[in-house]
Amino acid sequence: MKVSSDILRVYKALHTWVGIGTGLLLFIGFFAGALTMFKQPLDRWSAPPAQQLAMVKSNELDTLVSGVMQQFPDARQQLVVHLESAEHISAPVEWQSQDEDGGHGPDLDGEHWHATLNAAGEVQAESIRPSMLGDLIDLLHQTAGIPGTVGHEYLGVQILGLAGILYFLALVSGLIILLPTLVKDFFLIRRGKNRKRFWLDAHNVIGITSLPFHLIIAFTVVVFAFHDSFYGSLKAVVYQDTPMFGAPPAAGERPQARSVDQLLPPTELIRRIEQAAPDFKVTELVYMQVESPRPIVRAGIYNPQYLVRGPLTGYVGINPYNGELTMTGMLPGKSNVWSDIVVTFFALHFGSFAGEWVRWVYFLLGLSGAFLFYSGNLLWIESRRKKQKRGQPLPQQARNTRLMAALTIGVSLGSVAGIGFAIAAGKWGHVAAVADINSLYLQVYYLVFLLALTFAFMRGGARAAVPLLWLCALASALIPVTSALAVLMPSTGLWFYNSAATLAVDFTALLLALAFIFAAYRTQRGLQRANADTVWYIEETGHKAEPAGIGAGS
Amino acid sequence: MSAESLSAGRQKAPRLQPDWWRKTLAAVLLGFPLALVITGLFAWAGPGGIAATDKVQFNMWLLTLLWLLGLSLVYLFRSGNQALLWLGGANLLLWPLFLIVRGVMAG
Repeated sequence: MKVSSDILRVYKALHTWVGIGTGLLLFIGFFAGALTMFKQPLDRWSAPPAQQLAMVKSNELDTLVSGVMQQFPDARQQLVVHLESAEHISAPVEWQSQDEDGGHGPDLDGEHWHATLNAAGEVQAESIRPSMLGDLIDLLHQTAGIPGTVGHEYLGVQILGLAGILYFLALVSGLIILLPTLVKDFFLIRRGKNRKRFWLDAHNVIGITSLPFHLIIAFTVVVFAFHDSFYGSLKAVVYQDTPMFGAPPAAGERPQARSVDQLLPPTELIRRIEQAAPDFKVTELVYMQVESPRPIVRAGIYNPQYLVRGPLTGYVGINPYNGELTMTGMLPGKSNVWSDIVVTFFALHFGSFAGEWVRWVYFLLGLSGAFLFYSGNLLWIESRRKKQKRGQPLPQQARNTRLMAALTIGVSLGSVAGIGFAIAAGKWGHVAAVADINSLYLQVYYLVFLLALTFAFMRGGARAAVPLLWLCALASALIPVTSALAVLMPSTGLWFYNSAATLAVDFTALLLALAFIFAAYRTQRGLQRANADTVWYIEETGHKAEPAGIGAGS
Repeated sequence: MSAESLSAGRQKAPRLQPDWWRKTLAAVLLGFPLALVITGLFAWAGPGGIAATDKVQFNMWLLTLLWLLGLSLVYLFRSGNQALLWLGGANLLLWPLFLIVRGVMAG
């Protein structure tokens, strides 16, 4: 396809600058995002067995829920009822003490409770500090680790939203500059002498083959970050007095607050939901504000055959007093074309459709996306290289390319190593009786990340790359090693689960460790062969000390 | 790169000016109202009308997509002034139309 050279020139420049401006933020977002595909397995892997309370039989559920609602006013704000058991689900019901700060995102310092029934059939409740590993990785995915809030939004989410806009531009411009040679370049990776060609081919092939995925991610990220403002604009200009989200209840029939002893039993709610959605399995009930005028129970309903709006399940709402279903858009036959389209975008971001294998595909797409940004940065550095001309002295490489090499190596490998160490640290911290595991996750991540970044700047990208790749290998390896130690030396207090989900965590971490070892070897070989006129050239200290000529004579 | 040399040799059209600042400002400041007014026309006069259940969510996604497309394609304009002119003109054309449609349909 013909594209004028003027357009190519402008869009090449655009691609370069939006790419280099956002690449590292997106790298962290993609790597952590790939891990969120297995948020539940990671939570199951890290959950300590000591905190488990017994699950209850379905006929005991009604007693438990009504008992907790009566005795614990906090549970009336929000109570989660788990209907399936797994390692990370510590009890059939859990809730949090209500604190003032509100806001969304994981509440790390709030007091959590969980409860079951004891042998006498009485409510047995305990205060706990659950591990929120999965939520924290999710937060890292959404904010790229940038701390702070603006109003009630995370600063990092807003920054990634801006990065998402630039990322969309990078995708469109990348497509435009590839159009003239699209067919020729497709699936063509030229190996061999020219290393730049290899990186460029790999960047192009991955970019083109996963373009639909990337377009969806860029688009949804912008929506997730800025939907409040966009709805605000629609309200101000388009809708004005027309209600945007359904008509409010008429003044006369405003429902009044009810008392918790009038709640329908949970088994009755489940029966009604299953009647309306016979193909789905109800996985959890979340009671929300049951004493308010708008009480609702949000039920998670699961069937991999359907596209769903949540990261894992679809949702249906039910009124806990009269059993009336609300938010039925998810149910077969009850949906409309608008919500179908919107749900599709959510599902395409979360990979929550067609079951487990799509999660693996999304995991790989996430990792390959991270590689796309990494390779983009390397190409930026390469294209700014000052080549040595024949017979001329070695040129000094520009300062900004050396800094970008250090930044790329430090940020990308530092975040990978940080996540790995943080995951493993959860179990070791529990053994060492660290009271606040969630703070430990954060401290370990930021410590490793900042140390790696400092190391990369002190030694330069070339000298830091191989040690940091080994650090990533070590971090990944610690995950299965911790599990292996639990089996071999149970006296350490470490624990190990043999469910398929948690074994997959160990196995995947092991594969990643091997991949990093391979990358470390390859990088080392590459660096040894690096031309002297690149930022990747490592001068041998012995030669450097001696002026040329003296060494040659001896 | 034969495509490049062909099109470059065929015509000596005025070169495409990058004009980064003007084009970007045009897409941000004029592209957003344009995306909003197109979404507004779709919301009122498009299928289902303004009151269709859940259509507001679709409209918000549409608004985002239109703006993103504007931001990424604005650099195809020959110059920054052209971008300002065309996007400004489209706004001037569509806003009165939208206000009339909204006024008539809201009754």
